[in-house]
Amino acid sequence: MHAEWTKLRSVPSSAWLVLAAVAFTVALGAVVTASTNTRECPTPSTCVHDLAKVSLTGVRVGQVAIVVLAVLVMTNEYATRLIQTTLTAEPRRLVVLATKAVVVVTATMAAGALGVAGSLLAARGMLPGNGFTAANGYAVLSLADEPTRRAAIGTVLYLGLVALLSLGVATIVRDTAGAITTVLAALFAFPMLAMFVSDPRWHTRIEKYAPMDAGLAIQATRGLRGLPIGPWQGLGVLAAYAGAAVLVGAVLFRLRDA
Amino acid sequence: MMSAARDGFGQLLLAEWTKLRSVRRWVLALAALVVLSVGFSLFASAGSGTDSNKHPDFVVGPNGRPVADEFQFVHQPLTGDGSVVARVVSQQNSHAWAGAGVMIKDGTRSGSRYAALMVTPKHGVRLSANYEVSRAGRAGGVPRWLRLTRTGNSVTGYESTDGATWHKVGTVDMRGLPPTAEVGLFVSSPPKVVVTRSAGTTSVAEGPTTGTATFDSVRVDGAQATGSAVWQSDRVTQPHAQDTLEGVPDFKRRGGPSTGSTEANGVFTVTGSGEIGPRESPDDPVQAALFGILIGLMVIAAMGVLYMTSEFKRGMIRTTFVASPRRGRVLAAKAVVLGTTAFVLGLVATVVSFRLGLPLLRDGGFAPPAYPTPKLTEWPVLRAVVGTAAFVALIAVFALGVGAILRHSAGAITAVLALVILPAFVAIALPTTGALWLMRLTPAGGFAIQRAKPPSNMLAEAWSAIDPWAGLGVVFAYAVVALALAAWLLRRRDA
Repeated sequence: MHAEWTKLRSVPSSAWLVLAAVAFTVALGAVVTASTNTRECPTPSTCVHDLAKVSLTGVRVGQVAIVVLAVLVMTNEYATRLIQTTLTAEPRRLVVLATKAVVVVTATMAAGALGVAGSLLAARGMLPGNGFTAANGYAVLSLADEPTRRAAIGTVLYLGLVALLSLGVATIVRDTAGAITTVLAALFAFPMLAMFVSDPRWHTRIEKYAPMDAGLAIQATRGLRGLPIGPWQGLGVLAAYAGAAVLVGAVLFRLRDA
Repeated sequence: MMSAARDGFGQLLLAEWTKLRSVRRWVLALAALVVLSVGFSLFASAGSGTDSNKHPDFVVGPNGRPVADEFQFVHQPLTGDGSVVARVVSQQNSHAWAGAGVMIKDGTRSGSRYAALMVTPKHGVRLSANYEVSRAGRAGGVPRWLRLTRTGNSVTGYESTDGATWHKVGTVDMRGLPPTAEVGLFVSSPPKVVVTRSAGTTSVAEGPTTGTATFDSVRVDGAQATGSAVWQSDRVTQPHAQDTLEGVPDFKRRGGPSTGSTEANGVFTVTGSGEIGPRESPDDPVQAALFGILIGLMVIAAMGVLYMTSEFKRGMIRTTFVASPRRGRVLAAKAVVLGTTAFVLGLVATVVSFRLGLPLLRDGGFAPPAYPTPKLTEWPVLRAVVGTAAFVALIAVFALGVGAILRHSAGAITAVLALVILPAFVAIALPTTGALWLMRLTPAGGFAIQRAKPPSNMLAEAWSAIDPWAGLGVVFAYAVVALALAAWLLRRRDA
């Protein structure tokens, strides 16, 4: 465990990636929040914006850094043949994989917590200035509010699951380029498809089963009844994908030569 | 010397081609590019549907395409050759494209053939015909003399500021116009469209506008003109999709805007509402049929990077540079080989996707008359199909350049994919102008080349608002800059 932590810590790119995840999450969240204004609504008090979700938009970009981080934890060892040394030192392969998972998920969730906290703080500062005031009937974003707390904690968990998914795919593919491309395609291709597809049945399917769309259902704090999938169920779909990837990865990791 | 240099480059190309085709993983990736692109395109095609034909907000024009045709028409019949002249004295600025002028039309049915010469508040004099032709005359507004002359199957428009010196605006071919047509005055005023985009949703609101213009010195001349000058005023009107109009404060269409005309001492005051011109839905079935190339782009981006970085990783680049010390040429050879391969495979993927996707889209409701069947021989469709293949090739070359600059696979792949894909996601969360600039400044704008329809800011995907060539141009610029920077760095740095 300590060894894996040292490996992660001592590669300069890890620090940069964690920093990038936090910075992109907060920065994009702030830009989108800044551009959300009650002026666009029919009247200042009838906005239907999901403010917690709007302020957490940044994870859509921030997660890219997490994907790279989690993939590199595995594939870098293959690229440098370090994996042979690692497996000589610790021949129980599942323990190696489990330790890697714990380390990378912990680092990711720490970054996620920072990013989410930063985004929410920025939104708290900006939203009243954009007309989302108590006078217009909007409560201040606060973790004391149950749905907002769910969105915040859920977003951190979402990033952790994305890290697990990436680690699983990386273990299966054993190649940096292939793993990054596969995970990014799996995450982004479906929401992009949703921009085009006009058939509501397909929209529902994408929102229910695509890893990113379903997973981010956790950010919804209002209009839950109208969603094709509940917040926790959505996160569960992503968890199923991540679990499957790690499971297949673990089996292959055990069976194959390093 | 020249031929020796060319031979040298030919050999370099051959060497790079051998490297590309002899790595099994890359050949598999290239095959995956085609298969996944086509598969995902079919997925998108099968999932796209529309009910535009059930709730039409258009009429079918003489060219078989959906058109808008609604205005106030003050007319009388004219048989054979002849002309109609009028002076537009005043025009209300109800819309930049509001029209006041003279027209010759096949009856008063919405969607029939016409030729019209008009003055507009912001776009000067325009000659328009059959919902296709729109020719600009001189700039400036009212007062303006306008004249349309019919000679057999052609109609010519003239305009003048003083009624003495006439300028020819143009001649339009009016084959199909019956011998007896209606001629007279018209006023149109297109609906106002408001598009807002924020926090991931695009909302489009459309509301009618109404404009008034006054005319005098109105005259119809013709060999067989009756001269009795019995003017009739009609509102030419078309169906409307009511759902797009909800929530607009000044919405009056259900009752119908108050339009009509009055005449006193030869001065006509005409009030009209509506638009004359093409009215195709901005939804583009061609784009949906080509959508899957997105996956191909991701694959080729990764390959483009690896084609460069794998040489660095294995130290192969030193062998390559010993064999061919002019490093810029090695990079050029790689770019040519990879770019050509990507273009050819991209073209295979787009043509197959287009062929297989269209029937699925037609089943989903993208059928005539709202959506005329796109043909590969039409220029905008061909532009989309071939241009998308070029987009794939340019991204491949861009990725190659980034690979040579960063010399690190993970970093380079992430950088390229992030630049191509993320802007689209950021854009849907931004207001319209922010989204537009993001598309003009990042390679994500290249997706615009997949569209066979004119730019529109009414759709969720931000790239649809920019010109297809502008979008591809941005990608081209990125590829050129990345290659140039890569060539410079390759020469400066040790391998």
